[in-house]
Amino acid sequence: MGRYLLRRILQMIPVVLGTTLLIYALVFLMPGDPVAAMFGAKPVQPAVAAQIRAEYNLDKPFIIQYLLFLKNALTFNFGKTFSGQQVLAVIGRAFPVTVKLAIMAFVFEAVFGVVFGIISGLKKGKWYDTVILVISLLLISVPTFVTGFVMQYFLGVQWHLLPITAGPNPGFLDLLMPAMVLGSVSMASIIRLTRSEITANIAEDYVRTARAKGMSNKMVVLRHVLRNSLIPVVTYLGADLGALMGGAMISERIFNIQGIGNTLYQAINRGEGTLVVSIVTLMVLIFVVCNLIVDMLYAVLDPRIRYQ
Amino acid sequence: MTDNQSIIAAQQIKQGPILEVKDLQVDFTTDTGKAVHAVRNSSFSVYPGQWVAIVGESGSGKSTSAMAVLGLLPGTGHVVGGSIKLEGQEIAGLSQKEYDKLRGSKIGLVPQDPMSNLNPVWRIGTQVKEALDANNMDVSKEKRSKLAAALASEDSSVALKGEDDELFVASKDLPALLDAAKAALEKNGVKRVEEEMNYFRDEWVPGSETRWRVAKDLIDAGVKDDEAWAIAKKYVLGSTMEDRIAGLLSEAGLPDAATRARQFPHEFSGGMRQRALIAIGLACRPDLLIADEPTSALDVTVQKKILDHLHMLTDSLGTSVLFITHDLGLAAERAQHIVVMYKGQVVESGPSLEVLQHPQHPYTKRLVAAAPSLASQRIISAKERGENTDALLEHKVAGENELAKSEHIITVEHLTKEFKLPRKKEMFKAVDDVSFSVKRGTTLAIVGESGSGKSTVANMVLHLLTPTSGKITYEGRDTSTFKAKDILDFRRHVQPVFQNPYGSLDPMYSIFRSIEEPLRIHGIGDKKSRSKRVRELLDMVEMPVSVMGRYPNELSGGQRQRIAIARAMALEPDVIVCDEAVSALDVLVQDQVLRLLNDLQAEKGLSYLFITHDLAVVRQIADEVVVMQHGRLVEHATTDEVFDHPQKQYTRDLLDAIPGGKLQLGLD
Amino acid sequence: MSNDQNINQNSDEFFADPLPGQERYVAPLDETPLQDVDTVDETNPPTSMWADAWKTLRKNPLFIVSAVLVVLVFVVALFPQLFTRIDPRDCDLTYSLEPASPGHPFGFNNQGCDVYARVIYGARTSVAIGIYTTLLVSVLGGLIGAVAGFFGGWVDAVLSRLTDIFFAVPLLLGAIVLLQMFRTSSSIWKVIFTLTLFGWVSMARIVRGAVMEAKNLEFNTASLALGSTPGRNLFRHILPNSLAPAIVIATMSLGSYIVSEATLSFLGIGLPSSVVSWGGDISTAQQYLRTNPSVLFYPSAALAITVLAFIMLGDAVQDALDPKARTA
Repeated sequence: MGRYLLRRILQMIPVVLGTTLLIYALVFLMPGDPVAAMFGAKPVQPAVAAQIRAEYNLDKPFIIQYLLFLKNALTFNFGKTFSGQQVLAVIGRAFPVTVKLAIMAFVFEAVFGVVFGIISGLKKGKWYDTVILVISLLLISVPTFVTGFVMQYFLGVQWHLLPITAGPNPGFLDLLMPAMVLGSVSMASIIRLTRSEITANIAEDYVRTARAKGMSNKMVVLRHVLRNSLIPVVTYLGADLGALMGGAMISERIFNIQGIGNTLYQAINRGEGTLVVSIVTLMVLIFVVCNLIVDMLYAVLDPRIRYQ
Repeated sequence: MTDNQSIIAAQQIKQGPILEVKDLQVDFTTDTGKAVHAVRNSSFSVYPGQWVAIVGESGSGKSTSAMAVLGLLPGTGHVVGGSIKLEGQEIAGLSQKEYDKLRGSKIGLVPQDPMSNLNPVWRIGTQVKEALDANNMDVSKEKRSKLAAALASEDSSVALKGEDDELFVASKDLPALLDAAKAALEKNGVKRVEEEMNYFRDEWVPGSETRWRVAKDLIDAGVKDDEAWAIAKKYVLGSTMEDRIAGLLSEAGLPDAATRARQFPHEFSGGMRQRALIAIGLACRPDLLIADEPTSALDVTVQKKILDHLHMLTDSLGTSVLFITHDLGLAAERAQHIVVMYKGQVVESGPSLEVLQHPQHPYTKRLVAAAPSLASQRIISAKERGENTDALLEHKVAGENELAKSEHIITVEHLTKEFKLPRKKEMFKAVDDVSFSVKRGTTLAIVGESGSGKSTVANMVLHLLTPTSGKITYEGRDTSTFKAKDILDFRRHVQPVFQNPYGSLDPMYSIFRSIEEPLRIHGIGDKKSRSKRVRELLDMVEMPVSVMGRYPNELSGGQRQRIAIARAMALEPDVIVCDEAVSALDVLVQDQVLRLLNDLQAEKGLSYLFITHDLAVVRQIADEVVVMQHGRLVEHATTDEVFDHPQKQYTRDLLDAIPGGKLQLGLD
Repeated sequence: MSNDQNINQNSDEFFADPLPGQERYVAPLDETPLQDVDTVDETNPPTSMWADAWKTLRKNPLFIVSAVLVVLVFVVALFPQLFTRIDPRDCDLTYSLEPASPGHPFGFNNQGCDVYARVIYGARTSVAIGIYTTLLVSVLGGLIGAVAGFFGGWVDAVLSRLTDIFFAVPLLLGAIVLLQMFRTSSSIWKVIFTLTLFGWVSMARIVRGAVMEAKNLEFNTASLALGSTPGRNLFRHILPNSLAPAIVIATMSLGSYIVSEATLSFLGIGLPSSVVSWGGDISTAQQYLRTNPSVLFYPSAALAITVLAFIMLGDAVQDALDPKARTA
């Protein structure tokens, strides 16, 4: 187990380096002048441009730029935004809101995805199985922002059940609808995954052997069908926690939540390359770490992995 | 009849059959709603303490019948007619809830495939415990079948005094018990105390050995009756769940059971898993055990050990066994009563030897004639009578004696192959210094169990793997010196037929394209002549030309194997390497393919390198045998010599393990 | 456990007396007529894997519905003029947010453009992005996956790490970083390239797995022993046998690329507003959600139906090409 953990962490290092390099290269090595990109369509004064170049090390060779960026990132020094705020401070303000939103979305998709998936998988062919399947297909097909608009329109505008938008320092109720929107696609995927896993597992030989032992249907389903089916579901969920942080942007846009996603959106609109890179790097790191945790979890859940 | 047997027979008749299946009918429903009759009008019965075998090919309905008894028919299967009576009670129409009460405690199952029947995420011990928990088993004492109890009470040497005499030894009480036993032995002046103590240490397994057995062992060793019982009563007080689990596993022949119980299935070999499954099947002391091909996935020597053990175990518990197998020899060897099934129906049933010696239904006759284990048995018994065995060696080619003197077509010298194992420093020697040669026009068989390195040898001979050291010569030329052109030429002359009939043909290729492929690769002929050649080849393997447009998934295993042979024959090779080419086939089909191989050999003067784990098949077709174990060559001799005068213990073990080997088979 | 009760002793005497109900029985021959060993079942016409899959598909209502929808979407995308004569760019502010009227079944949007015409013409953009991205992803991901799976060793190690790196960047985030560079100069092709760059990973992983599996199958070894070369086998045996999972993932992800494009447009970094697209229209319509939800509804519905069609098609194809069903 310890060996496996160590190997996974070592494997993570090149991935993190490669990923940050990739993002950095995308922003600063693409054709076109990043400084010009910062200012969008506006003309840039040469003196200002030179100053920015020096500030962001753009006058140095690319690989040095990257290493400096890496060094700064390791010391949590992400530089300043256009308005002169520390990037870290901006992120620090927005981050907790997004974490709250992501965790709520995670709980929502985990609970409803697994519950509906189990119902659907165990009662294959019943009418409610069909209903659950159709709804999950719809949720996957409709873009999140459309789902968001629809829910906002009905739950908020028409029926006044939940707040239409969340202000600063949103509470549980303010974030409930955004979290449902954020978790909706993943919930649908989890339903489908759980259902197909259960279908596959229920036909396994060891399930028949368990029945032959005289175990009741309830126990067989609990200990053999569900226990085994939920391994891939749990790993999917873990990986999704990281992805939810990135996906929060859409939900935050629709419901006007001052989270990390909205900050990223505004940074994109203002053309603040540094801020964009910093935020995306952070999110990618979270994603990678979540994937590492998933691998650990997988090893705990599936004894076969531990000894490989 | 001996006394014991007459007592049993009387008991059996008195109790009546434990399982009585009458006119059973099982249907499966296809996607289109059509009913497929998997089992029709089948009847059979099992008496207490009896082994009854159902024999048949795949698709004969033998497993389906067994699963119908357990109420565990797969998919759309359901019982549509007939009755299934367990101890006189109708169980065919029971609900799953009612079945739950029977399964485990009344009917146990030992399933076929040890790899897929244990849940990979639970510890072995936990999976045994589930069986005990599900049936609320009292783990502190033995539960005995009526028959075993009746017999035990008639066993005069030790009288059972009460319920408590069935209590198990607990691991925590064992040291004290052994000390007391030693003291008692010394006190009673028993000689060879250590020997007796060693016997006790082996026998007194916590969670498995009962009080009355301990008392009996002590009495047998020379301790006075009342003293023995006093010790047994004082120290044998019933076991814990952990002890019982370990006890059950150790009864099934799993060494070091207490440690093993904490391991996961993937840490077990196939044989160990099968033992765990036997422990699970017998955990709640069912009156009837259904053993569905319990050893067909295992090596022959392991198979024999496990079946011997299972036999011993069910005998002492008085458990009846419904034994499902495709191997007639195995069935006859293990069961008193045989039921032969064909296409969903019972075609013949009766006492094993009677059925075997005087088969009456044409299908049974065919089966008896084809079973390799029985065939080699016939040769042996014929030899013992000093009869001429040539007529029995139907698969042997006449006139081989002249050929035997001719040159060696393939010679293997000091062949060694090492593999690097992950995370291990030392290299693993898959093949270790093996030498032999194949004489032109003859068959050399390499026999060994899994891990013996026999397939690695085949792949090196086929030039698909490079040897670590050693030399392979074909027609006197060292194959390691071959250039690309030589290799292509070599491939024309040395062709393979592989084991898995489902894997060796590309599912995307039509039969025509599959057989044509070698001709294309070697650029032989034009489109028209190739098409003509494919027809010839199909004819050669006795397949209708109409299969050309079909795809592998439409053919049976045996048919695919014949296509693979046709493909191998396309280039008119001199040597065919058959790597377990018939192992996956049903006996009748196997017989047919072997016959085809022999006809081709006679006709074309082919040489075969025949890789197999099945000595019974070897007897029928090989001229020479190489026995391999753990990568090393154990024995190399002519087939007759190996069978009649095996030199090495391992060869003798292999021979002993041929199912049906112990049968006293009269010639029909 | 000792072996003191040998109940079952194999001996001839014991069998002399069968127990009641276990007497010798031989079924009458006419009940189960004996057939030749292993005869070829020639009752069914020969079928290849693809023909088989097609047969299964034809009977699947899921497939029929999704195929009809997909064909419809393609026809609309290729020949929008068949469905409307109105130019989607021909907008008149005086009609801004007018409700439906004869000739204008879906009404007008805020700029006074005909919503129906925009929905019809928007199909081309979405379908083009879906198709081209899928094609590029299949080529790039398929190539990388096939090479990694086929060669193994260090080639596989390097390519797998590369795949890991791209896998760590979620599609949407990667696209945001890249496309924000082109905010002022974005085009359909830039969106397609961006989606490809961050979308090839799943294809590569699937193809790699399939190739590795096919490479180890016996028919491959058999073919080598017949004189074939590894390179020839890659094209003749391995790739054709790896095709099924690639087709399934391609069909399913086609829909997800369409969604991604719409999402990017919603965030304002997708297509330029000059391109008629569902994503862009949905994005502009969101401001009028409370007053004119129908302006949002029609492009959203068109998008959802298209995506749904491709996902259902993928599901149906997956069922039909299930390898487990073919080994029996």
